[in-house]
Formats: sequence, C-alpha cells, structure tokens
Amino acid sequence: MSSSATAPTIDTALIDIVKVTKTYPPDIMALDEVSLTVGHGEMLFLTGASGAGKTTLLKLLCFLETPTMGLIEIDKRDIGKLSGHKLQQMRQHIGVAYQDFRLLPKQTVYQNIALAMEVRYENPKFIKQRVVELLADLGLTDKIHTPTAKLSRGEQQRVSIARACANRPPLILADEPSGNLDPAATSLVMNLFHRLNEEGTTIIIATHDQTLYQKSPHRLLNLENGKLQEIIKVNFDLS
Amino acid sequence: MRYLSFIFGQLARNFRHGWTSQVMTLFTVSLSVLIFSFFFLIYVNMEKASSRLGNELRLIVSLEQEVPTAFRPEFKKKITDFAKVDKIVFISREEAFARLSKQLGRDSDILEDLDPSFLPYTVEIFPAGDLKSLTRIKDFSDYLGSLPGAVKVQYGQEWLERFGYFISLLRMIVILSGSLLILTSVFMVSYTIRLTLESRQEELEILRFLGATDRYIRGPVIVEGFLLGLLGACSGLLSLFFLFQWIKNHFSGPGFLNFFELSFLPLANSGSIFLIALLLCTCGSLISIRKYLKV
Repeated sequence: MSSSATAPTIDTALIDIVKVTKTYPPDIMALDEVSLTVGHGEMLFLTGASGAGKTTLLKLLCFLETPTMGLIEIDKRDIGKLSGHKLQQMRQHIGVAYQDFRLLPKQTVYQNIALAMEVRYENPKFIKQRVVELLADLGLTDKIHTPTAKLSRGEQQRVSIARACANRPPLILADEPSGNLDPAATSLVMNLFHRLNEEGTTIIIATHDQTLYQKSPHRLLNLENGKLQEIIKVNFDLS
Repeated sequence: MRYLSFIFGQLARNFRHGWTSQVMTLFTVSLSVLIFSFFFLIYVNMEKASSRLGNELRLIVSLEQEVPTAFRPEFKKKITDFAKVDKIVFISREEAFARLSKQLGRDSDILEDLDPSFLPYTVEIFPAGDLKSLTRIKDFSDYLGSLPGAVKVQYGQEWLERFGYFISLLRMIVILSGSLLILTSVFMVSYTIRLTLESRQEELEILRFLGATDRYIRGPVIVEGFLLGLLGACSGLLSLFFLFQWIKNHFSGPGFLNFFELSFLPLANSGSIFLIALLLCTCGSLISIRKYLKV
C-alpha cells in the first residue's frame, strides 16, 4: 500500500517522488512507499510528529541519504543516477536550511553565508551585496562579522536560512525553520520565504509549528509512521 | 579570473590557519632538495674529474729492447686491433733519460754519472676517449703485457681502481639518498596537507553539501602543494649555490679540491631537480585530497 500526494500535474512538476521507501538498520522504516509530486514554484508544508520521517524525506531530496527503494526525480532527473560534477551542480540549485544548521563555528556570519555563493564562483561584489540584503531581511545586520559560534541558537538558525536562500535557488528545503525562533524572527523568516516563493522558488518546509501553516493557502502534507497523506484545509473566510 | 582569486583567497586562509606546519614542510622540502642536490653535485664533479683523468690516462709499456722502426707499424697494428687509441709514442732510452732529468729539476745532477742504458725502452699508449671503464683498461693492460717483448705495463692501476670504487659508491649514495629524500618530501607534503584538510574536514563536508565541485576543493590544495614544491626547490637549490660558492672560495688555490675544478650543477640537472620537486609536491597534495572528494 502506498501513500501519496499529487496535486500538480506532471508537466509542471519539479519534484517527483515515486513509491520511495527508506529503512535504517536493523529494520526501522522511516518512509513507507511515499509518493509525492511538487510543482514548480509551489510552497508546501510537511508536518508530523517527531520521528515521522520529515527530516528523512528532506535528506533524500538533498542527497544526504539515498532511498532504499523507489524513484526520486528533480527537474525530471533521477537523482539516484547523479554523481560527481552533475550531483554537485544539482546541489548548488537546492538551498537547504538544516535542522542542525551545519554552520562553520569559527567563521563569521558573512563567511558562512558567502560560502554558498563562493562555490558557484559568484562575483565578490554580488556576494557582499546579497549577504547584506539577506541579513537585513532576517534582522541580523549587526552580526555580520560575528563568528557563528558566538550567536544564539535562533540567530544561528537564521544564518542557516540565509545561506539556503543566498543563491535564490529554484528549490529550498527548510527543516524546522522556526524551531528556535521567537514569533518576530519567525515572521521575518516566513516573509523571506513568501517573497522567494512569489519569485518562483519552490519551498518545502518541514515543521510541526502550526502557526506557520494554519493561515497559509499552501498544501499541507502529514507524515505519520513513514506514510504520507495530504490534509485538506478548510478556510473559513467569513468576509 | 574569479576562480584564481578564490584559490589565492583560500590559500591565504589556509596559511593563516596552519602556517607553522607549512613552514616546517617548506623547510623539509628545502632540506631534502639541498641534501640530494649536494650529493648530486659531488657526483657530477667526480664524474667530470674521472672523465678528465680518462683523457689524461696513458699506459706505459716497458720493453726488453727497442722496437725497430720497420716493425713499428706492425706493433702499432697489434695494439689498435685490440682497442682504439689516440696516440702511440715510442720512447728511446735517451728520450726517457732526458725526461727524467727534466722531472728531477734541480736534483738532476744525481744523473750526471749515469748512462741512459739503465732505463728501459718504453712505448706510451694514449687510449681513445671511449676506453673509460676500469675493466676495459685492465683488459687492455693485460693485453699489452702479453705483447712480445713487453716486460711491464704501468698506468696507476691502484689509484684508478680506488677512484673508480669511490665514484661507484658516490653513485649509490646519490641514488639511495635521492630515493629516500623523494619519499620524505612526498610524505611530508601529503602529511602537512592532510593535517590542514583534517582541520578543515567539517568545512569540506559543508562545502560538498553546498555543491562545491571537485575542482573547487582540489584547486587550492594542488596550488598549495605546487607552491610548497616551488619554494622548497628554489630555496634548496639557492642554498646549494651559496654553499657551493662558499666551498669554492674557501678551498680554491693549490690543494686537493683545485684538482677537480669544481663546477655547479649544469642547468639541465638543476632544472630536472626543480621540476621533480615540483611534481612530487603536487602529487603529494593530490594523494592527500583524494579521500575528501568522496563526501
């Protein structure tokens, strides 16, 4: 039996996940025949209890894990067959805000964010401009030259999000982006995501923070024991 | 251009983080190049001296009696049938006596009451340039000794043999020291770069997740190895040059070293040592980066 959520048509699909299963040794099933289609420019929320498989699904999409079974296509390319230069090029087009941030603690906020653009050999002037812009969006302007080890968890999370958005990639994966944020900072992050989404970026947000998706018009998918199901939201618009 | 500026930026960052180990590696590479090229310099000079000795080599055959003029062409033919020679000179007792007198200089008066007849008739044979190896000279000497009327053959055999063995020993030292120093250089460079990479492992992992290509990660590391080789080889060879100049200035004049007419390594040899050091250091860096490209 497979669990699936397929809102967009195949023609507009950016991500196509077909019957993907992921098991960890000895026999822990993180994902059970999950199928999902995500369209170009779509914003999607992935929810579920801790250990439901949200992070695993994001890890599969950013090549940190490989599926035990099934097929994952991004932009019509089977990512299981990508390797070497092509894999690295694909990674450049996916911005990932990791749950554990994955920042370089000795390097400054600027250096951490710039890294994502440096690997694409972007112009140093452009990099500087973009970093300043992102820090202003996320309320971290005054921290630009601070080593990330000296930041609070919430600030580190925002740096990680800024790095994911730096290249304006076609796909952004955010794992619990508001996990360490206060409502004001969450609002800054979500504003940034919405703006990028309006510009055409596909964004997948794994979260169990209901405030992020409650009033959102975007698709909400629920993972439970490795199975995926779409939640149909009913908007009570009384106006 | 952007790639180059990135490489040099990364190099500067690496140097700031691990300059002590890099300076130590540079020192090791320089020392390795210096030691190897020093032995090589001695070897080259000895080879040169040996070649000069070869050119000046002559075999003196003492004869029971003078070879009559009519038989001299046949005698010469017998010699040239065995080996190529540059020159064959027949020396009469009178000529030999005159030479001896000249050699004795002020003490030549001791010969006053003597008659040239106490000296043997001799033939001086100057072997051709290709007769260089000790074995060939020895064979030639044995052959000359077997010629009819030959009593004794002299060519400074013992001295030449010692010199030959010394050159062989030196050649072995050059080969062994070269191999060991090559291994040391490669090991040191790859070890230093590996240490730098170990300290950057987290960064490299994140870089891979951000989509850094092999070229992006490999570039600065290869350039680092290349620069270590370049600077190490330059400073090693420069140190050798100054050492050579010092030896030449302090030991020139009449004496043992003057016999050799010391000369520095030919450009082709210095260039080869330089290129090999460069290549080995670059290879050392390539070896160390391999495992980090598998993330």
